[in-house]
Amino acid sequence: MFIACDTFAEATKSASEDNAMPTVRFRTVTSAEFYRVRGSVEEVRPLAKGVIDDLIEALTAPLTAGEKGPGQVKKETDESAPVTVTGESYESAVEEFNRVFLENLWGDGLPLVPPTPERVKWMLSGTSRSPREAIGKVSPKQGVATVEKIAVNAVMAGARPEYLPVIIAIMEALTNEKYDDRHVLLSAGSFILLIVASGPIVKEINMRSGIGFMGHGWRANNTIGRAVRLTTLNIGHIWPALNDMGLTGRISPHTFFTIAENTELSPWEPYHANRDFKTDDSCVTVASIHGHSPMHNFYGGMIGTWNAKDILDRIVESIIRSDRWMFRQWGSKGVGAIPGSGGGGNNHMIILFPELVSEFKKMGYNQESLQNEIYGRASVPYDELSPEEIQGIRTGMEIGVVPPDRKEVFEAALKPGKTVPVMVYPDNVNLFVSGGAPGCAFSFNYYRIPPYNYTALMTRKITGATLTRAGTNNA
Amino acid sequence: MSKEPITLELLNPRGEIEPPPVFAPAPRVADLAGKKIGLYSNGKQGVDNLYTVIEELLKQKYPDVKTTRLTGAFEIRDDEASAWASEVDTFIYAVGD
Repeated sequence: MFIACDTFAEATKSASEDNAMPTVRFRTVTSAEFYRVRGSVEEVRPLAKGVIDDLIEALTAPLTAGEKGPGQVKKETDESAPVTVTGESYESAVEEFNRVFLENLWGDGLPLVPPTPERVKWMLSGTSRSPREAIGKVSPKQGVATVEKIAVNAVMAGARPEYLPVIIAIMEALTNEKYDDRHVLLSAGSFILLIVASGPIVKEINMRSGIGFMGHGWRANNTIGRAVRLTTLNIGHIWPALNDMGLTGRISPHTFFTIAENTELSPWEPYHANRDFKTDDSCVTVASIHGHSPMHNFYGGMIGTWNAKDILDRIVESIIRSDRWMFRQWGSKGVGAIPGSGGGGNNHMIILFPELVSEFKKMGYNQESLQNEIYGRASVPYDELSPEEIQGIRTGMEIGVVPPDRKEVFEAALKPGKTVPVMVYPDNVNLFVSGGAPGCAFSFNYYRIPPYNYTALMTRKITGATLTRAGTNNA
Repeated sequence: MSKEPITLELLNPRGEIEPPPVFAPAPRVADLAGKKIGLYSNGKQGVDNLYTVIEELLKQKYPDVKTTRLTGAFEIRDDEASAWASEVDTFIYAVGD
C-alpha cells in the first residue's frame, strides 16, 4: 500500500493506473501537517498515531471483489473522436472552443488556434511522412504520438507547416526508447527542456538566433516550442498538479527554451557536425535541464570588456563547482536496471556567442578541441580529493557508472600527482553558438544519466520536409 | 435578421492510449502478528522519522512483528527490489514529496 501527502493523491492514483495496479490501496496525510512535522521523530509522532490504524486496516482487510478484479483501466475520452463546438459567430465559436479545450485539460492556458481538418491538412503539407506514422509514446500514459496528432497540436500552437518537420524531429528525440521524458515532464523538481535547432533549415524557416534569441517575438522559435509543449501535454495526458508535479511550475512553460544556432555568424561547423551528423544536415538537439536557477552566466559584451581566456576560465570553474560534489554520487547504485541513474556527473549545454567563438578560433580551437580543453581542465587534483570522493569514483567504476571504455582514464587519474576529471566523457561538454553582437555566454546542465532511462540528451536529423530545401530526406 | 450559428469541427489533440494490463494487489495478510513488514520510502527527507514512529507503534500492537526498511528512489536496482519484496509478508510505500 501507498502512503502519500494529499497534494500527491491524484498523482498517486494516476501512477497506480499507469503501473497497472489501479486498485492499490493508498492513504493520505495532509501536506500542510506532514511538511511541518516531518523534521523530527517527536514532532511527527501525533501524525503517525493518527494514521496507524488506517495503515493496519489497509494491510489486513481482505480485498473487495472490486479490488480483486479491477478490469481494464477506463479511457478518459475517445481520443479519435472529433469535437464540435458552436457559437453565434465565428468569434464566439472560437471562444467556446478555447473554453472546452481548456476545461478538458487540452490547452496550455493561452488562446489556441482551432485545429480544423483544413488547418491540420495545411499543417501536414509540411511533411512527406504519413499522418498515421507513429513517432513514439509520451509518458506517463504512453499515448501514441502520430504525425497527425503532432500536426493537430502544432496547429493549436500557431505553428506553420514548414516548422512541422522540426517539431516531429524533436518528438522523435523526446520519445526515443532511451530518452527519459518522464523525469523532465513530470518530476517535482520542475525540470525543463532546452531545444536547439542547427543547420541550414534554421535560416529557411526564419528561426531567431541573434539578439533576443531565447525570448518572445519569434514565431518559429516560440511556436515550435509551444507545439512540443501541447503535444507532450496532450499525447502524454499530462496536467500540472495532477500528474505533472513540478512544484513551482516550469519556467518558460509554454515554449520551453527553443533556440537556434547562429549558423551565419558562427565560424565553426554546426553542433551536430561534432555528433556524427553531416555538416549540411539540419538537426534538433533536445536536452533536459534544471529548472531552478538554471543558467550559469559567463558574461560577455554587456557592460564590461571581456576576453575569451577569462570566459573560458569561468566556464571551467563553473563546471568544477557544479560537478565536483557529484563524485560522492558516482557510487549511487541507481534505480531499476540502469547503473547510476539520477547522476553519474552532468551534461553541460554551453551557449557561446559568435564573437567569442571567433576569438576561440583565433586561439586555435575548433569545437572538438575546445570541448577537450574544457574537459581536461575541469579536473580536481587527486591529492585534494576526500576519501569519500575517491570511494564514490571507485564504486562508480565497479558498478558501471563509469563505463568500461572510461575505466582506464580514471584508473590513471586516481593516483598522487594526477588530476581527476569531474565529467565522464569529453562529449559531456556540448558547445552551441547562438546570439548576436554583443552576446553573452551561459550554460545549462543536467544529469548525464537521468533517473528513469538511459539519456536526457539526444540529437536527431530533420527529415521529410516538403517546403524547405533543407530537411528533406536527401538533405 | 437571424444569423446561422457557426459550427467548428475540430480534430482531437489527445494521444491514443492502449489500455494497460491490470493486476490486482496481493492478497492481504489476515493479521500482522509475527509478520515481517517492509517499510519502503522514496528517500525524501522526513519519511525516516515517520517510519521510526510507525515501527514503534506496530511493535506496541504486535510485539513479535519484524520490520525492514528500503529507501530509494534512486538507489534501488531491480534485483534488490525483488529480493527485498520476497523477504517481507507485506509492505508500505511512503512517498515523502
